[in-house]
Amino acid sequence: MTHIKTIETRNLCDSAKNGGCGECQTSCQSACKTSCGIANQQCEKKADK
Amino acid sequence: MIHQYKLGGYNIVLDVCSGSVHVVDDAAYDIIALFESHSREEVLARASALHPDIPAGELSECYDQVAALRDAGKLFAPDTFAPMAGELKARTSGVVKALCLHVAHTCNLNCAYCFASQGKYHGERAVMSYEVGKRALDFLIENSGTRRNLEVDFFGGEPLMNFDVVKRLVAYARSIEKEKGKNFRFTLTTNGMLVDDDVIDFANRECANVVLSLDGRKEIHDACRVDYAGNGSWERIVPKFQKFVQARGGKNYYMRGTFTHANPDFLKDIEVMLDLGFNELSMEPVVCAEGDPAALTQEDLPIVLDQYEKLAELMIRRRKEGRPFTFYHYMIDLTGGPCVYKRISGCGSGTEYMAVTPWGDLYPCHQFVGEEGFRLGDIWQGVINAEKQAEFAACNVYARPECRDCWARLYCSGGCAANAFHATGSVTGVYKYGCELFKKRMECAIMAEIDRQMDDEPGADR
Repeated sequence: MTHIKTIETRNLCDSAKNGGCGECQTSCQSACKTSCGIANQQCEKKADK
Repeated sequence: MIHQYKLGGYNIVLDVCSGSVHVVDDAAYDIIALFESHSREEVLARASALHPDIPAGELSECYDQVAALRDAGKLFAPDTFAPMAGELKARTSGVVKALCLHVAHTCNLNCAYCFASQGKYHGERAVMSYEVGKRALDFLIENSGTRRNLEVDFFGGEPLMNFDVVKRLVAYARSIEKEKGKNFRFTLTTNGMLVDDDVIDFANRECANVVLSLDGRKEIHDACRVDYAGNGSWERIVPKFQKFVQARGGKNYYMRGTFTHANPDFLKDIEVMLDLGFNELSMEPVVCAEGDPAALTQEDLPIVLDQYEKLAELMIRRRKEGRPFTFYHYMIDLTGGPCVYKRISGCGSGTEYMAVTPWGDLYPCHQFVGEEGFRLGDIWQGVINAEKQAEFAACNVYARPECRDCWARLYCSGGCAANAFHATGSVTGVYKYGCELFKKRMECAIMAEIDRQMDDEPGADR
């Protein structure tokens, strides 16, 4: 039986190869304005993911 | 490195460096906890003692599944990112892509907890002229390199106290963005006092997002968010915000509240926001000096952490009932989130993001405005204080020793430089109280997303 269910995620190690375009939103600019969290940012480079 | 926790009825295992998320049964949960520090035989012996009802063969099979995930790089992936820290910033050195325009260092409210000291930022009241704003937009374009998407937030104080300039600046930006190959994304942060049909039409046409300040319960909101006569603002702004949000027609907004020592039980405030018809919400811990009566205390911490868990439960419950809402910190896109460069580089304050005062000075971000030592330069000459900017350029998750062993480091990217500075005196310090809140929010966000994905699976009956 399967004991582990793996949720689909972006592979961060792979993202090192094609990431870093810098087009994504600045972290707190248009929202909380008082904390830094990047987990809820969207990648702008959708085609390359 | 892995992080294991149990929440919402799930056993969750995060593999920090690959970004993998696993939902596991009790046996796998215990085997994973032992896996790295024990031999196969030891792991299986302990697992057997912990789960006497599970046949040895099945535990062995479970062990093999864990080993297979390790071999696939989805468990215990090593941290190979440290050498990349600073690389993104080095690569994009000199590129500015976002400005916070302080169009009004004045405010029509006198909120007790305002980090901007009622919009004045420890200085004189002032509004930004059109000429200064226009030069700021030109500065942004000139320094944005090949970056196409440029963000400009109209901020204050209360930016609508200088609404004519806001409108003229947007018109100017729109008139040149095509020829310059840019796409401006405007946002507006407002306390709502001056919202009218003109503002609503403008914001819905031009602003990708609006941030509307409301603290929730009337008595909580009115205890802090008062006018200069001391009168609460709740009754004046709520109808305006309701009209504003309804007219937005699906465009983004955040109903943004601040919680303080007066309301660590902020879920009640979120429920009020929901009852008022708002469903894109953000609720932020107050930023203020230690010892301030509004500051959250150690006694508040367990209450706040519990509220975050209950908030996740509420979010899940309402989604299942067909009445979903979003909470800024619980929005997590596991498949389409940021690349690792972004995750280790921090927020970009002082490098790709700066704040502009009404008289054109540049600061690393809105929270540093008024701290004279942090003035970077101005919009005519650019950055002059290269030494100070270098401190921000060096800000990344690996610059903070405390972050190196933290499981949440690739979700928070080292935290807020302003929070760190105010808590420790250094932008590369760590605001530990904020870390506790952040980690709990991430655990809740990931759990809620797992629950959503489980429900989306064919045959799901949860």
